[in-house]
This record gives sequence, structure tokens and C-alpha cells, in this order.
Amino acid sequence: MNEYLKLTNICKSYDEKKAVDNLSLIVPKGSIYGIIGPNGAGKTTTIRMIMNIIAPDSGELLINGQKPTDEFRNFVGYLPEERGLYKKMFLHEIITFLADLKGFPGKKTASLMDEWLEKMSLADYKNKRVEELSKGMQQKLQFITTLIHQPELIILDELFSGLDPLNIELVKNILLDEKRRGTTILFSTHVMEQAEKLCDFICLINGGRKVLDGRLTEVKSKFGTNTIQIDMEGDGSFIRNIPGVKAVTSDNNYMELELSADADSQAILRQVSEKVAVRRFEIMEPSLYKIFIDVAGVKSMGPKSGREADV
Amino acid sequence: MSKMWIIIKREYAQVVKKKSFLVGIILTPLFMVGITVLPAMLATKKAADTEKIAIIDLSDNNIGNKFRESLAQYKLDNDDPAYMVTEIHTINPSDSLQLIQRREELDSLIRDKELKSYFVINSRADESDSIVLVAKSFGLRANSRFERELSYILSGIRLEKSDVNLAIDSVLKLTRNIEITHLAPGGRERDFFSMYLGGIIFVMIIFMTIIGYGQVLMRSIIEEKNSRIIEVIISSVSPFQLMAGKVIGLGLANLTQIGIWIIFGMIIYNFRGNFDISPQITATIFNPVFLIYFLLYLLIGYIMYSTLFALIGSIVNTDKEAQNFIFPITMTLILPVMIAMYIIQEPDSTIAITLSLIPIFTPTMMVLRMNYIGIESFSLANPMIVEATLGLILTALTTLFIIWATARIFRIGILMYGKRPTLPEIIKWMRYR
Repeated sequence: MNEYLKLTNICKSYDEKKAVDNLSLIVPKGSIYGIIGPNGAGKTTTIRMIMNIIAPDSGELLINGQKPTDEFRNFVGYLPEERGLYKKMFLHEIITFLADLKGFPGKKTASLMDEWLEKMSLADYKNKRVEELSKGMQQKLQFITTLIHQPELIILDELFSGLDPLNIELVKNILLDEKRRGTTILFSTHVMEQAEKLCDFICLINGGRKVLDGRLTEVKSKFGTNTIQIDMEGDGSFIRNIPGVKAVTSDNNYMELELSADADSQAILRQVSEKVAVRRFEIMEPSLYKIFIDVAGVKSMGPKSGREADV
Repeated sequence: MSKMWIIIKREYAQVVKKKSFLVGIILTPLFMVGITVLPAMLATKKAADTEKIAIIDLSDNNIGNKFRESLAQYKLDNDDPAYMVTEIHTINPSDSLQLIQRREELDSLIRDKELKSYFVINSRADESDSIVLVAKSFGLRANSRFERELSYILSGIRLEKSDVNLAIDSVLKLTRNIEITHLAPGGRERDFFSMYLGGIIFVMIIFMTIIGYGQVLMRSIIEEKNSRIIEVIISSVSPFQLMAGKVIGLGLANLTQIGIWIIFGMIIYNFRGNFDISPQITATIFNPVFLIYFLLYLLIGYIMYSTLFALIGSIVNTDKEAQNFIFPITMTLILPVMIAMYIIQEPDSTIAITLSLIPIFTPTMMVLRMNYIGIESFSLANPMIVEATLGLILTALTTLFIIWATARIFRIGILMYGKRPTLPEIIKWMRYR
């Protein structure tokens, strides 16, 4: 596995408050990596340090095994938590301006712009000013400006904030397209349900410290208790005697099985379907949220407060 | 560097493309003329019409008639007499009733604008110097003429009464008042009007440039902070590149504006026709040594102050919060204008020199002083050249320090939203890595 981005023992304090405390993580090349945690966990600070917007107090940050150079900025697409653009500029102007700042050739920007505007259903607005767009349209425009220069690393802070469900789908599909191009994608969110559907790898952080990290499936199998739900027709009383089934809660045509760690769910399915008609058989993975609560021992994921948006 | 150029281009375009840029080009000179030239011109302008004057003469030496004759020498531009004495009432000083009646008549004539003013020449005016002028308003120029002519007449009367054994006319010639011509070392002719005007115009250019463009810079940073685009920008360029790009971009827009003024000024100057431009003003404006220093001070003053405005923009969240910080900056800039009268009289005083060497005051104060003291060549024998150069060096060093400090605060400030930071917090930011 190719380590694209590697953070080692990164620390950052504001006055006495430790925003990021001894954080280490590895983002593999071409993966979708989610930094997940409640507000105030240190996600934005971590991302700003990766972007070299702020400097860590200590620790090492490597891109492709090297210290990031100024040139590295050109290969990153960055969407900060708080979105905004120059309101008075025309769409084509601001797309060109921000691509220019990335050192992306003007001709390539021009040739890609229409395609992107089309993809985001903004083609009719190319010669309009940013302020004439609705909030949702501005969000989509900002995605164009984040991605048009074909970055090799995309960093999105609070990816889902302010997006309506339609745009969330649109953005997910675009990110999956980017991943197919071989782009590495790093994003932060506190919306765990969304992260679960998108990430290959995750890092859960809380209070500036890493709670756990790794491949999403591994994290789930490692920390989860496996549960199976079955809808069926027939007498399912034999099921509780199948090896590997620890406990059963049952209704008339519905059963929920709690499995032991080494149980083989596929073997259980075969045994069940031999004797009863199975309408639905679902392996219930534990939610990230539940893992987070269990591992970090956090009670609440309350709304944000305080003076800095997210340190 | 090329990224900074992209910032510069955008900032420049954003200002120059706006309608307000065009409006500023037209309105700013009008405003400057309005607050500098007009009052001065009004105070010294020649009257457009013949002033009608009446005289009540209580003396027995025929002063009224002599005064009328002496006023005949003053002409308007079109050769009409400047003053016309409509009536001379010779009244016996003991007839106070008639005096009161006459004065009431003349007062009402003035109110009806039939008459500009009237004199009351008291009895034995030559001994008491007691002459009253009644008018709604007094012109500086007319007043000095009246005083001169009346002094002359009264001196003549006093001489006649004395035992001087000389032809009175020739004695009077000896005692004639003069108007002093003011010359600067090196022979440049100056008068109060052009000295004041010259100095204030140049200070106003610096002042308006800095305040105008400084606030544009500050607002654009506040706007970028509020719209949060600033974070996108500094993911591509360093905060310092952003700040410097903005300062330079707006500076170039400013130069464009001044360039347009210069071109128009030259066109107007070439087509001025018969309009008389004081040679003293021309001499000031076309003094290359002064202009070089002026442009250097304009440049360094702009950089120093606009960096300060960038600093303010980075630590506040709203225009309203910024106002508290702008006030002291405005005061430091306007100080030379407020004390210009003193500087004109004492441009070499310790206070003037000291103030002009305090970097924050230097750009405006030094320009003001250079104008009054006069610099004709780069000779170090002229202490003004030494001081102007020293001021330039001190200001440049201070500006470098301000840029360094601002860059350190700026990079943190633009990411901080919410409560306005306190001074200790800002100092802490400077120490962050």
C-alpha cells in the first residue's frame, strides 16, 4: 500500500489548549480517507496543517515521503469548512482566477470549464456574477473551483455541511469519479452516516487525539458486535442452536441473531435457507457512531459553540 | 512571484473596472480644489464689480476727498474703477443728530445692497487714527488697500502740521508702505498663497491616496474574511503573497489614477489660454528635486499605511469594528494639515523637525516642510535634503518592521472569526510558529 500522506506525532496548541495532540495517520494513495469526529475534535486544525495554512508545533508531515513544498499546493484541491467566493466576480472569472492561482494552464481551464459547468448544471450561469447564484449553486461552483485543476489530492473540510441531499449525491458521484482517476481524497465530517458510505479508510478523533484508525471494514469487524437480521416464513426455532449464534431475539417471522466473533455468517445463511424460506437476510454492521461512542466513551455530539469555528 | 502577479492583476482589475474609480478620478480633484484652492482664492480674489463706497467726513482736513482721489488708482481687470465713492458727507462733528441720521440712511443702503460700505472719518482723525468702516463683510485685499491709502493721507496731514522743511510729497514717497516679496534661498519667488497651497495640495494627495486606497484594501480583506474565500486563496498562495499582492495591486490602481490626473493636468495646462497660473505654483510643481522626494514619500507612505490597514482588516470582522482603528490613523495623517499654519511660520523649529522625523508623520510632515523651506538641488549642504533623506531611511526601516509584524499577525488573524482579539492576544499571535 502506497503511503501518500503521512502524519507522525503532530501536535498543535493554541495557548494552553491542545487542538491536536500527538496525531499520527497514514493516507494511502488513491483512497478516500475520512477524518471523523465531533465538533472541536481538531479536524479543521489537522487539515489546515496538512494544507500548510498553519504550522504544527511539533511532529512530521510527509507527502510521498517528502516534506511538502510550495509546489505541493498546486496539486491540492482544498475546500475549507466555511464556503465563500468573491461575490462580484463572474463565474468564468473566478474559476479562471482560482485555477490560475494553482498554476493550472489557462487553456486547460477554459477547455474544462464548460464540461464542469454542464456537470454541475451551471452552464447557463457562466456569465453571471456569483452573487446571482443561490446558496446551493454557489456550493456547486465552489466544488468546480476545488477540482478543476485536476489535483492529485483533494481535501474537503466538513464535506457535507450546507449541502442538500441532491447535492450530496452529486458530490459523492463526482468524488468517486475522481477516485477512479487515481486521486487521493481526504475529508473531514461529523456526519458519520455519510462517512460510512463513502470512506475506504477512517480516522476517528476526539479532543485532538486519535481514537482509532484503519480500513473501514476492518475497524467495523474489529470493534463491532456482529448482528444478523432475518425475515422468514416457517419455524425458526432451530436457529438458536446453530454454532456461532450467541443470542436470539425473535418475533413471529423475524429474528435478530447476535453472533460470536468467529462465526461464519455465510454458513449460517446456508443452514437457515435449507429449512425455512428466507425473505431477507442482512448482516448488520455496527454503525461508526456506535463504535465511536463505545471506544471514545463520548456521550454527546452536541452543536458547536465557542469563538473559533473549529480548532 | 507569478502567483502574486495573479493576485495583483485581480486586485487592480477589481478597482479599475468599478464605476467608483471613474467617479473618484473626476471628483477627487474637484474636492481637493474645493477644500484648498477655493477658500484661498476667495480670500484674495479681485472684486468682480466696482464697490460703491460712501464717506462721512467729520474732519476738517478734507480727508474724504483725498481718499476718493487715491482710490481712483485701483482698477478691475476690465479697467473699470475698483471703488467708486458715491457720496461724501461733510458733517460738523458737533451735529451728532445729523450724523446719526446719515448713518441710519447709509446702513439701510448697505442692507439693500445699494452700497458696499461706508467710512466714518472722525474729527482730528490724524491725531486719533480713528476711522470706522461699516460693511457687511470685509475683503482682505480691499482692507489692506484702504489702510495703506488712509495711512498715507493721515501721514501727509501730520507732516503738513509739523515743521518739516521739505516738500511734503517727497517725504511721503520716503515713507511709502511697501509690499514685501518673499524669496526662498536660491531665489525662488514665493508668496504666502502659493506656499500654503503648494504644501497642502501635496499633503492632500498623500492623505487622500492613503485613506482612500487603505480603506479599500481593508474592506476587501474584511470581505474576504467574511466570505471565507481567504482560506481558499491561502491554500494556493502564502498569506504574505496575498497581502503584498493586494498592496501592490491597489497601489498600481492608485498610480493609474494619479497618472490620469497628471495627463489631464498637462492637457489643461497647455490649453490654459489667458488663465493666469501663479509662477510660484508652477515652480513648486515643476521642481524635479521636490517631485522625486514627494513621489518617494508617497510610495513609502502608501506602503506603510496600507500595510497597517491590511493589519486592521485581518484582525476585525466588520467595518464598524474597524472604525475605532481608522480614527488614530486618520489623525496622524491629518496632523500636518492642522498645524500647517505653524509649520509655514516655523518650518525649521525643533518641533517641526522632530515631528517630521517620527516615521508615522514623516511622509506628510516632510513634504510640507520641503515645500516651505525649498529644495532646489541634491546638495547635502542643504539641511533639508539631509533631513528628507534621513526621514526616508527611518520611514523605510519602520515600514519593513510594520510589514514583518503585520505578516505574522495577518496569517493568524485572517483565520480567526468571532470576537475581536485583545492586544495581548495579537502579540501572542506574533509568536506563533
